[in-house]
Amino acid sequence: MGVTNLPGGPPGLDSEPARPVIEADGLHKTFGTIRAVDGIDLSLTGGRIYGLLGPNGSGKTTLIRLLAGLARPSSGSISVLGTAMPSRPLLAKIGYMTQGEGLYAELSVWENLSFFAAMSGQRDPDALREILDIVELGDRRTAPVVELSGGMRRRLSLACALVHRPPVIFLDEPTVGVDPVLRYQFWDHFRGLAAAGATLLVSSHVMDEADRCDQLILIRAGRVLDMGTSDEVRRRAGTPDLESAFLKLSGIPGMDGSR
Amino acid sequence: MSFLRVGAIARRIAQQFRRDRRSLALLIVAPLAVLALLGYVIRDTKPLDTRLGIVNLAGPPGAAAASAVQVAAKLQGIPVVDVGTDEADARVAIRQDRADLVIVLPPEFTSSSRVVELITLGEAPTDDGARIQAVVGLVSQVGGQGSRPTIQRQTVYGSASATVLDTFAPALIGFFGFFFVFVLTGISFLRERIGGTLERLLATPVRRSEIVIGYSLGFGFFATVQVALILVFALGSINVPAIGPFGSFEIGLGIANAGSPVLAYLVIFLTAIGAVNLAIFLSTFASTELQIIEFIPLVIVPQGLLGGVFWSVHSLPDPLQAVARLLPLTYAIDGLRAVLIRASDLSSSDLQLDLAFLAGVAILFVLLAGATIRREIA
Ligand SMILES: Nc1ncnc2c1ncn2[C@@H]1O[C@H](COP(=O)(O)OP(=O)(O)OP(=O)(O)O)[C@@H](O)[C@H]1O
Ligand SMILES: [Mg+2]
Repeated sequence: MGVTNLPGGPPGLDSEPARPVIEADGLHKTFGTIRAVDGIDLSLTGGRIYGLLGPNGSGKTTLIRLLAGLARPSSGSISVLGTAMPSRPLLAKIGYMTQGEGLYAELSVWENLSFFAAMSGQRDPDALREILDIVELGDRRTAPVVELSGGMRRRLSLACALVHRPPVIFLDEPTVGVDPVLRYQFWDHFRGLAAAGATLLVSSHVMDEADRCDQLILIRAGRVLDMGTSDEVRRRAGTPDLESAFLKLSGIPGMDGSR
Repeated sequence: MSFLRVGAIARRIAQQFRRDRRSLALLIVAPLAVLALLGYVIRDTKPLDTRLGIVNLAGPPGAAAASAVQVAAKLQGIPVVDVGTDEADARVAIRQDRADLVIVLPPEFTSSSRVVELITLGEAPTDDGARIQAVVGLVSQVGGQGSRPTIQRQTVYGSASATVLDTFAPALIGFFGFFFVFVLTGISFLRERIGGTLERLLATPVRRSEIVIGYSLGFGFFATVQVALILVFALGSINVPAIGPFGSFEIGLGIANAGSPVLAYLVIFLTAIGAVNLAIFLSTFASTELQIIEFIPLVIVPQGLLGGVFWSVHSLPDPLQAVARLLPLTYAIDGLRAVLIRASDLSSSDLQLDLAFLAGVAILFVLLAGATIRREIA
């Protein structure tokens, strides 16, 4: 899959400095002795795709859960669209695709989708059909989830997160197990959502996906290692590709991009 | 409160049941099967050893009747024991396990107005019932022809009611109303927690109250269908005529019911709401389906033992009575007995207490359940 370098930046907001859609200030989250999030500040602007990269256990899911209002920070503050989180009503404007499956196995594709649509306040059946076509499950709408392949479940899970057309979107490893063709289409769709003004925070372990983000946030052990465009990150690390930049920033010796 | 969301949750539970026919069958067929089995077994129980005592308080007409019974008892091989000459002695004899059943011919007994008292221990309704079945034939011997004598049942412990099944059926209805809904909700909600759907659900603007009410409605509906069928089965009776090699038989137990089925329904509905929310609450403390099953000995069995299914609450030792008075099933069973046996209506203070307690428990568990569904799940 080729790397498309799309220009970043929010459309139509160039007159005044855009107010950040997501702001986090001194975020900490500890589980017992584990510091899952250990002092993170963020300021994410609308109309952009942010890539959240980091090794297993680095705190990506925890950070997203904090931002989505599903967990309370041990300290620090979060505001989304100008509202302090956690805020229940604001959840109508947030789409969260969990890392785990989170679907009702015995229910059909359509039943799952309409259930989560109802929960998010989406009443328009056209919206359901549209998102189902985007994830290419239109012809499987009556199939129970147990009969879907792993990748299809991921696709349905994505559809459930986007069905209410939220302006703020958190996707926790959305493309795991999704085939390359569909993955490519997903990213085109994400790009379309961003172009329409949505803010996306997408965690991933796939480096070519990272290249399609406007901004990257590299975290490790709950701290931000670096933040910037793919080019900036590589330049600062002095490495030819992201993967080695990441390894170098992680402080792994002998991994300075000379591969 | 969004009815859209509450409705969607309730509907989703129905959809899941539709896909999981086996659980649905469990919910409906199992209680009917158990009730039917129990009903038919109780009715056809073989007579137990019955040591019969006879007390005559009615002078000469009673003496004649007493000897008639004695002769009939000998013919049927029922041993007759000496239990003294008044009712108090007879009760002592039963309590001390020297006799199982005493026939008392009370002072008002005459050959034209035949009233007979039967005293049993009242501890195990099944045993009492079987013994009474065994001596009913004898009792009709008292004093020749004419209408059957009036039988007044008394027990040393507890209270006697018309038949064993009558006391059992309401207890079982209450028990099933609680049991199945508890287990199914517990497992269903646990799966929400561990399967990630609760996390997803909480990422939407749903209110905790909407989840709890949606669940209560969804499972309440099935509990309701279940109980409706049980009530019809227990109270109704259809005779199926003999076909070919099969003899005629009855479908349904045809239990005489005194009160309003609607009130019985209300009792069971409140019980089910409590069970649903207790299960949601307890599912926090389980991490596998197996651990939900492990709650059965903790939650279900004590209620089954103390709640009045087998022994009436009054007959329990004092400390256990105190425990029993804290258990929802105690009130559910008492409420159902009040309605179905004692024909109580809403003006009865017993039934008012039962309903109030069950409603209070339901509210308490709703609050507890709501408290465990926090957006911060770990
Ligand atoms: N509920 C929890 N209770 C205890 N510890 C937790 C909990 N959730 C996360 N952690 C810990 O916090 C740390 C960060 O976990 P997190 O799930 O955020 O990592 P991640 O970056 O999403 O990893 P992955 O790439 O594997 O998804 C880990 O050490 C994890 O064990
Ligand atoms: Mg994760």
